[in-house]
Amino acid sequence: MPSTQKWESRSLNNAIELNGVCWRADKSFALKDVSLSVPAGSIYGFLGPNGSGKTTTIRLFMGMMKPDSGEIRVLGQNVPKDMKSILGRVGYVPERPHVYPALTVAEQVRYHSSFYKNWDEGWCKELLGSLRLDPDRKISRMSKGETGKLLLLLALSQRPDLLVLDEPTDGLDPIVRRDVFTALLDYVSEVSATVFISSHLVHELERFCDWVAVMDDGKLVAELPMQQFKNGIKRLRIANAPESADEPPFTILSRDRSNGIGSTETWIVRGWEPPMRHYFEGVGATVRDVMDLDLEEGFVELLRSSRPTHENGG
Amino acid sequence: MLFDDIDPRSPTPLYAQIAARVRIAVAAGDLGPGDSLPSVRVLARTLRVNPATVSQAYSDLAADGFVEKRHGQGTFIQEVPSFLRDEERAATAQRLVRKLLQDGARLGIDGEELSRAFYSEVGVEIIE
Repeated sequence: MPSTQKWESRSLNNAIELNGVCWRADKSFALKDVSLSVPAGSIYGFLGPNGSGKTTTIRLFMGMMKPDSGEIRVLGQNVPKDMKSILGRVGYVPERPHVYPALTVAEQVRYHSSFYKNWDEGWCKELLGSLRLDPDRKISRMSKGETGKLLLLLALSQRPDLLVLDEPTDGLDPIVRRDVFTALLDYVSEVSATVFISSHLVHELERFCDWVAVMDDGKLVAELPMQQFKNGIKRLRIANAPESADEPPFTILSRDRSNGIGSTETWIVRGWEPPMRHYFEGVGATVRDVMDLDLEEGFVELLRSSRPTHENGG
Repeated sequence: MLFDDIDPRSPTPLYAQIAARVRIAVAAGDLGPGDSLPSVRVLARTLRVNPATVSQAYSDLAADGFVEKRHGQGTFIQEVPSFLRDEERAATAQRLVRKLLQDGARLGIDGEELSRAFYSEVGVEIIE
């Protein structure tokens, strides 16, 4: 448990801070002691399978629900106490569209803009063009992809300091996904905003996130810089692997005999550094191969090892 | 295009991949003094990468003397001393060989076998 003092000082450089947040829905689902820090100016990927608690976490720090315990800060201010002043600086694309089907695009834009004092009319017009949205189109007649683009347009035209995107491309086709990310990256190359983006589409985030966090079953399983995530997890091919590994300098996520070639075993390890090859020499084994895992493979291995059934299942 | 084959799944950081493409293009003479690189914004949106990644690549290139950032104008290729170009070519060759050796080791083919294959391949090229 971090001291209060540490908590205060850390929050200065973070756009979002959760400290020991718990929230229980019912017997079947709860957020358990979630602490996370989203560095200001980062693009922070929030990964996790469906139902792992991503949207619940977002709703809590967006002040839409109150945690049972724990502290939340967004843009240096207290949630939910200072929510009013926070919301003016946050662009939010929720999981489910919050637009009115009876309105046209132009009407929805005008309605939404009236709430935000930094609303950027010029940027909004530019986005209508680049996202190919027709201002006269009724929202009820729009496709899922067009609605997705409209939601992003609304969030970006606010000129937010923080963008919170909850599965912004879920169910959208590849062309629309590309449009959405292009608009997003255009914005962050102009403005030093923080982007918090949740997704279960791991590959999408691999290109541009600088931080990754992984949720599973209401818990935060990992939070680290993207490069560390990708470089630290390796697949090793080991010859003459020892029966039991005594205090290895890395964390073993899994070991698999069936997957090896000939007499070798396949190990997935976390926290790997090249000099750790010597560990295997010491126990009479040889590292035949060290293979890199991409984000998706790393993600899957991390989830597999974080689940309690793993120990029995093997 | 210059940056077509950058690979977000590779463990080599994207900024390093981008910088490497520029260094190799300079070493190969595809980019010369005064040529401009795309702006951070344009390259980030083209590659769909974090603008910070492109900035980092350009900063690394500037620190090595490959490019010059002119305020408000953009990023331009510098006159690179020929020894730096040669170093870059040698480093690229080294990387290619290292990759070949690693792939060989994975398949149980040692350096001697590889070098025999190399000479026979080069030999074939010369005869043609």
